[in-house]
Amino acid sequence: MSHIRIEVDHVSFSYEKGNDIIKDISFSTDSHDSIGLIGANGVGKSTLLKMLVGLNLDFRGSIRVADIPVQKHTLPKIREKIGYVFQDSDSQLFMSTAYEDIAFAPRNYGLPETEVIRRVEKALDAVGIPHLKDKQIYKMSGGEKKLVSIATILSMTPDIILMDEPSIALDPKNRRNLIHILNQFDHLKVIASHDLDMILDTCNRTILLANGEIVKDGDTKAILSDQKLLEQHGLELPLCM
Amino acid sequence: MLVYVIYLNFLERKSNMSKINSAIYEIHHMDSLAARNQWVNRIHPLVKLIITVFYIAVVVSFSKYNIAGLAGMIIYPVVIFQLGDLSFKDSIRKLRIVLPLVCFLGIFNPFFDRQIVTNIGGLPITTGILSMLTLMTKGVFSVLASYLLIATTSIEKLCYAMRLLHIPAIIVTQVLLTYRYITVLLEEANRITQSYTLRAPNQKGVHFKVWGTLTGQLLLRSMDRAEKLYESMSLRGYAGEFYYGNKVPCKGKDYVYLFLWMGLLILLKYIPVITIAGNLFL
Repeated sequence: MSHIRIEVDHVSFSYEKGNDIIKDISFSTDSHDSIGLIGANGVGKSTLLKMLVGLNLDFRGSIRVADIPVQKHTLPKIREKIGYVFQDSDSQLFMSTAYEDIAFAPRNYGLPETEVIRRVEKALDAVGIPHLKDKQIYKMSGGEKKLVSIATILSMTPDIILMDEPSIALDPKNRRNLIHILNQFDHLKVIASHDLDMILDTCNRTILLANGEIVKDGDTKAILSDQKLLEQHGLELPLCM
Repeated sequence: MLVYVIYLNFLERKSNMSKINSAIYEIHHMDSLAARNQWVNRIHPLVKLIITVFYIAVVVSFSKYNIAGLAGMIIYPVVIFQLGDLSFKDSIRKLRIVLPLVCFLGIFNPFFDRQIVTNIGGLPITTGILSMLTLMTKGVFSVLASYLLIATTSIEKLCYAMRLLHIPAIIVTQVLLTYRYITVLLEEANRITQSYTLRAPNQKGVHFKVWGTLTGQLLLRSMDRAEKLYESMSLRGYAGEFYYGNKVPCKGKDYVYLFLWMGLLILLKYIPVITIAGNLFL
């Protein structure tokens, strides 16, 4: 994995004309940043993440990933570097077994089957679910599906990880395991989440969104300990505070 | 047709599970059957596909009055049911909607073809009855052969076999994704109907006034889910071609299996095994 960054420059986006979800936001990241994206429901966290991987291309402004502009013809190059975990695991998983789903990306990138097997097993070990290798997806619980979803992007060995509410449906032990996995990944991470305690444990930097704009961008501890700021924007202090 | 509709209603009332749950369960159950480690499941998918197509072609090639010759073709499904450790009763239950339709195909033959060929216990057997029975038997055997293929081979392996036969990638991908998206559609329908049922406890079924709304919602939500699935595939490098994993070549046992069955099926086509067996015992 190499070290790369994201640059978002005066970006706006709307699903319907005249109703901007994202309003003229700008930020850039360092290659080792671990960024928590927080905000109340409907502020545009998921929308912003999708724009970074080109799932929403009708934005105004400029987004660059690893110095490559996010445009239709550059998407294959950009997506090779980014692992994206959907909020809903059922949207991420479409093969019959965990093994097949985790092997999907390495196979698409033309890796030999021996390497595919190695990556799948490594990804399963990393999330602590080697026993689910041949289990059928439809038989899995929500938490197991979430772990398999994370494994599907780990097998890509991405340079950037984007996660949309990764700790949903995870029991406390697996949530702790997820935090451990994220802390071991020392490249760029952007995590959208309502789990402020997890953000506190995994992110050095936090961006607070409200009404489609960046309200605050800075040190995680400073932002997540500002009770007035959080309550003003529909959030509360993390449980540990 | 009226009889068929009454039959479908009877099936619906008999079922304790909702129809949608039942359909989702049946699809997942077929996936489970195909994922087992039975001997026949481990045969190369291309070999099984070729044998199934060959079997159906041979069955269909029997002349319309040759019920005795056709009866010998039952050997293939009987053997595969045993080798695959599959339940015949289960297969009939799964095919309960298709089989009556198949049997319906020749139902009018006795009215048009009335030449008497023999009598059995005083009952005149006409050429129409013979052709009806032959047509029904061909249909049942073909459906059973298809069922056995799907019950012993996962959809991914089947698609891999189709690609080996150089069937265009776009067609094979359509088959795979249609199979996968059927459950997406059914799961969305299930969520909608469950939510409706829990909030309309005194109603039987869905009131006709909301059929349009719910159907529209189902379409929109299924399209949304399907789009998300496609996004997920694109984000993981999908570019139009599925790679079906471990490309295991055919082994010796696969070739033996293939040529044994093809040889036997050709033999059954030209040698009336059931007639000979009947003459031996009578």
